[in-house]
Amino acid sequence: MRKRPVRFLIALALAAVFAFPIWFMASSAFKAEVEIQAIPMHFIPWDFQGWAQFRLAAEIAPMWTYFANSWLYAMCHVVVTVFFGALAGFGFAKYRFPGRTLLFLAVLSTIMVPFQVLVVPLFIEMKAFGWENSYAGLLIPGMMNAFGVFMMRQYASDLPEELLEAARVDGASEFRIFLQIALPLLLPALASLAIIMFIWSWGAFLWPLVIVQDKALNVLSVGLATYTQPYLGQPMWGAAMAASTVATIPIAILFVFFQRYFVKGLTAAAVKG
Amino acid sequence: MRFHYKWWGLIFVLPAVGFFVAFNVFPMMFGLYLSFTDYDLLSPPIWVGLDNFVNLWSDRLFRQALLNTLVFVAGATVPVWVLSLAAALVFDQTFRGRDWLKAAFFLPVLPPVAVVAVVWRLLLHPNGVVTSLTGGWWGITEIRWLADAVLAPFSMIAVHDWAVIPFFMMIWLAGLAAIPPEFREAAAIDGAGPIRTFWYVDMPQLRSTAVLVAALSSIGAFQTFALQYVLPNDAGGPANSTMVLALLVLKYGFQYFRMGDAAAISVVMFGMIMTVTLAQLWFNRRA
Repeated sequence: MRKRPVRFLIALALAAVFAFPIWFMASSAFKAEVEIQAIPMHFIPWDFQGWAQFRLAAEIAPMWTYFANSWLYAMCHVVVTVFFGALAGFGFAKYRFPGRTLLFLAVLSTIMVPFQVLVVPLFIEMKAFGWENSYAGLLIPGMMNAFGVFMMRQYASDLPEELLEAARVDGASEFRIFLQIALPLLLPALASLAIIMFIWSWGAFLWPLVIVQDKALNVLSVGLATYTQPYLGQPMWGAAMAASTVATIPIAILFVFFQRYFVKGLTAAAVKG
Repeated sequence: MRFHYKWWGLIFVLPAVGFFVAFNVFPMMFGLYLSFTDYDLLSPPIWVGLDNFVNLWSDRLFRQALLNTLVFVAGATVPVWVLSLAAALVFDQTFRGRDWLKAAFFLPVLPPVAVVAVVWRLLLHPNGVVTSLTGGWWGITEIRWLADAVLAPFSMIAVHDWAVIPFFMMIWLAGLAAIPPEFREAAAIDGAGPIRTFWYVDMPQLRSTAVLVAALSSIGAFQTFALQYVLPNDAGGPANSTMVLALLVLKYGFQYFRMGDAAAISVVMFGMIMTVTLAQLWFNRRA
């Protein structure tokens, strides 16, 4: 490998500028409140606080409840989109039933409508259902993502027809063909979709903000805003950085362990969506 | 009569389709209807025709939000396009330590947007770290990045660009990786330097990537609101300098309960985003 020192230095500068705020966040979570605002900044905590800021963050707001709600929110989105997305994608790819094109276009059109446009009418719909400020209202409306159907249709259409036909001749029911033949073959695609859906739903902000008023139902993204406000007259930046770190860790773990899927999945989502 | 297996396809797609009808298609239609009404959630909607749209045009706050959004979109598209391409060209070729530096560069993609906003709110504190790193050289100790109505919109753009550039770099890298290496080798044999190779060999091959980056970055920017909601002391402030369309939807809808006006703004937003999508399709067809 060529060393290319100039390129290395440019890349180093770029990486430093872009990674700096993340380092600042993570290191500040272990600093005392006065040290966070120290100028010039301390790159490493001089007065290491251990988990104190994390405990404080959980004390001034129900951070772990927020965290659990974020998990619940993300998991609902992942599971429902992956399973029903695969089922519908398989249906669209491998069966020629009347109305197929029309229904698929209807699904596709929902990808083009940004959520910001739906938020007002959807809120009114939830109010009519009596789902306002409840888990049902928080979790159900976004649970199924049209991108999942679109992506799974692409992968399912590559499945060999002969394989399905052979199972059919053997007397397998269509649902069994889906479960025992299609799903196992789609596994890598399902994994990418699961990662994409987790990232998208973990960071969700707008819908949880609008539909939930109760603190106990808040997700971490929305709960975070609490920490930017002074608590008992004192700024709580240490707690804010600790909570921010907690909110970043699940995605960071995905990135570390599934780096290739992560980047591939996200670029594929961008290119195909 | 035998139940033909093709009907199973319909059964398989029905749960998803039913879901989209209930939570996407219906609200879409309902929102369009609402945009032609006055509705405060208490008394039934009153049909007012195009009044909401006409009123928006004379609504100063709406016009400011529209302008702010367009400025934000420009700031979140052009610099992002150029800088993410430049970064991709840096990381495209192998050199010592590339994988580690690329991973570090990619870090801003990880935190959710709310985290980005909270962390930058601290970084951009008037006497904070960013002030000491920029103004500090000239002895300036206080810069009101977020509390100054002139500066705040640009702070939003800078934070947004920081957060999305690494993502778009990955898309450029995928585009660059798809160019057959023989093309560059042939250009090198013909005596083309790096700049000419980039311009005449890489760029034509990157055409659809270029359109994609432009489209995705502007579509994302049209929908922006979380930064403007969390970063300033009051959402959309100071003095409405960071009030964007999506934020105005929330303000009119959930603060003033003017659902008809909020829905009308949504329809305008949708129209603008649709225009970008159609432009993207048109550019790709020509390519």
